[in-house]
Amino acid sequence: MSRVTLAGVGKSYGALTVLKPLDLDIADGEFVVLLGPSGCGKSTTMRMIAGLEEITTGTLRFDDRDVTVLHPRDRNVAMVFQSYALYPHMTVAENIGYPLKIAKVAKEERAKQVDAAAKKVDLTPYLARYPRDLSGGQRQRVALARALVRSPGVFLLDEPLSNLDAKLRVAMRAEIKHLQRTLGVTMIYVTHDQIEAMTLADRVVLLNDGQIQQVGTPDEIYDDPQNIFVAGFIGSPPMNFVQGQASGGRFDGPGVSSLACPGSGALTLGFRAEDTRISDQGQFSGRVFEVEPTGESTYVVLDMGGQRANLRCDKKFRPALGSELRFDVGAGQCLFFDTTTGNRVR
Amino acid sequence: MKRGLFQSTAVTLIFWLCMSALTLLPVWWMFLVSVKSRADLFGKPSFLVDTAKMTWANYAEVLSNPSFQKYMINSLIIATSNAVLVSVLALLAAYAMSRFRLVGRDNIFFWVLTNRMAPPAVFLLPLFLMFTAVKIGDWSLFDSRIGLILLYCVFNLPFAFWLLQGIVDAIPKELDEAAYVDGASTFTVLRTVIFPLARPGLAVTGILTWVFAWNEYLFASTLTSVEARTITTGLAEFVTVTGTNWGQLAAVAMLTLAPAALVLALVQRHIVAGLTFGAVKG
Repeated sequence: MSRVTLAGVGKSYGALTVLKPLDLDIADGEFVVLLGPSGCGKSTTMRMIAGLEEITTGTLRFDDRDVTVLHPRDRNVAMVFQSYALYPHMTVAENIGYPLKIAKVAKEERAKQVDAAAKKVDLTPYLARYPRDLSGGQRQRVALARALVRSPGVFLLDEPLSNLDAKLRVAMRAEIKHLQRTLGVTMIYVTHDQIEAMTLADRVVLLNDGQIQQVGTPDEIYDDPQNIFVAGFIGSPPMNFVQGQASGGRFDGPGVSSLACPGSGALTLGFRAEDTRISDQGQFSGRVFEVEPTGESTYVVLDMGGQRANLRCDKKFRPALGSELRFDVGAGQCLFFDTTTGNRVR
Repeated sequence: MKRGLFQSTAVTLIFWLCMSALTLLPVWWMFLVSVKSRADLFGKPSFLVDTAKMTWANYAEVLSNPSFQKYMINSLIIATSNAVLVSVLALLAAYAMSRFRLVGRDNIFFWVLTNRMAPPAVFLLPLFLMFTAVKIGDWSLFDSRIGLILLYCVFNLPFAFWLLQGIVDAIPKELDEAAYVDGASTFTVLRTVIFPLARPGLAVTGILTWVFAWNEYLFASTLTSVEARTITTGLAEFVTVTGTNWGQLAAVAMLTLAPAALVLALVQRHIVAGLTFGAVKG
């Protein structure tokens, strides 16, 4: 397995910069998820690591080997594509064995390794079938087995679960995580789904507009966001934001008054739905705009002077629409961001 | 409802029977001529075979004729070599155009296609001059199989390129990329991924270009004299100053038609599949 080091790696198409120079060090055996909205540069980053896109600036190293300009075939990486990219004219066994055939591995040895890879992903009964005869989940496992069979230095997975239905996605998510833990491989995984990122990653790299917003463990990203984009992107429902003014260590905004805060000037207060508690003496207030029962809890959407806020309440809680509700936010759960720059104010 | 359906089916059937008769009548007539003796040819015409007077002598005579054998071999070599060469070159060109960012890609494609739009006869004189001018020792491009093969390539490539371009475009680029990551070189990708997936299209390209070269008359009659004459030009040899040997002419025509008809009959299913390949996203 390999350690992957990106030093100032960037991508431009002529005058258009799609990925600003980024620095990232991925440890040997680490599971890193590149997360971000569509067009943020996460797939481009992965394709540059694979060698499918030219690196415009910076260097890419696998361990101590500079692979910046190497052809994909010389990088010893394996990749699972969003569409799985299975060869439709080959059987499952031929698909899995293709990298070994290219590497001129002897037929008997190849068959052994194909069997072993198929066994790891429960595909043994399907080896003689063609991809068109398989379900989405099975195809996805073929793509995984094809990646596994060569024991590559780095595994790259580009939104591998996005074509599966919700139930299968959850099941495959667990399988991928288990596989990575068992094999101890370096895995880089691209997704726009924050749940996937949070459940799979050792570390999450959150990208937006072609640059890294934050790198950290899922807990760090969730609990300690560095800017308003990270705070708003992670979490479902997303973090509540209330724009206001701060002076003398006190924050005032719609539905909030005299809340202790750092900094001064135009600030945005952020708090999460699950950190709220309904209380008649609460420091926060708003009018009930909508009530959304989900079964396990009830989300109350409040109108705080034109800004919406979600509160997670007891599943039996049913406030009247339009009524005023007061609540508190747990100690240390109020985060402040500079409204102009979006950066965290501590 | 049922009656309407029956009427519609009957009308369709009658229409296609008429169309088939119209298309096949000349072929049938040619066959009738080819199995008649010279004396019977000028007798009372009939659409039916008179089995009592039917003769295979015209076929026997033509098949034992060394010139005919040479023409047939020339045609087979020229048509087959042309089909193989065109298919390979067109696949490579289509792959390059489909996968690489070439400057002026669309203009190149349009320019290649316009080459096919001019009537071939326009190029006859310059080609004749060129063919007679190119000489290496005793060997000349004029009256050579290689000359015709290359010339047919020039005329067939734009069509083949156009046909294969759509087929290669329909093969997802991710398959190439997956193969590259799996350790393949560009040539390996072409050989193990693109070629097998483009096979229906290649079959169509090969067949249609083969038929074009097999049927071609204008260039073959102008740019060959003795050694490289093809079967289509050989047909004209039966029209002489002393008269036309209709029986043998028809027999040669039938023999010329047979390989092309056989090939098309065997692969017509693939032709339809190949021409519609990539038309609908799977």
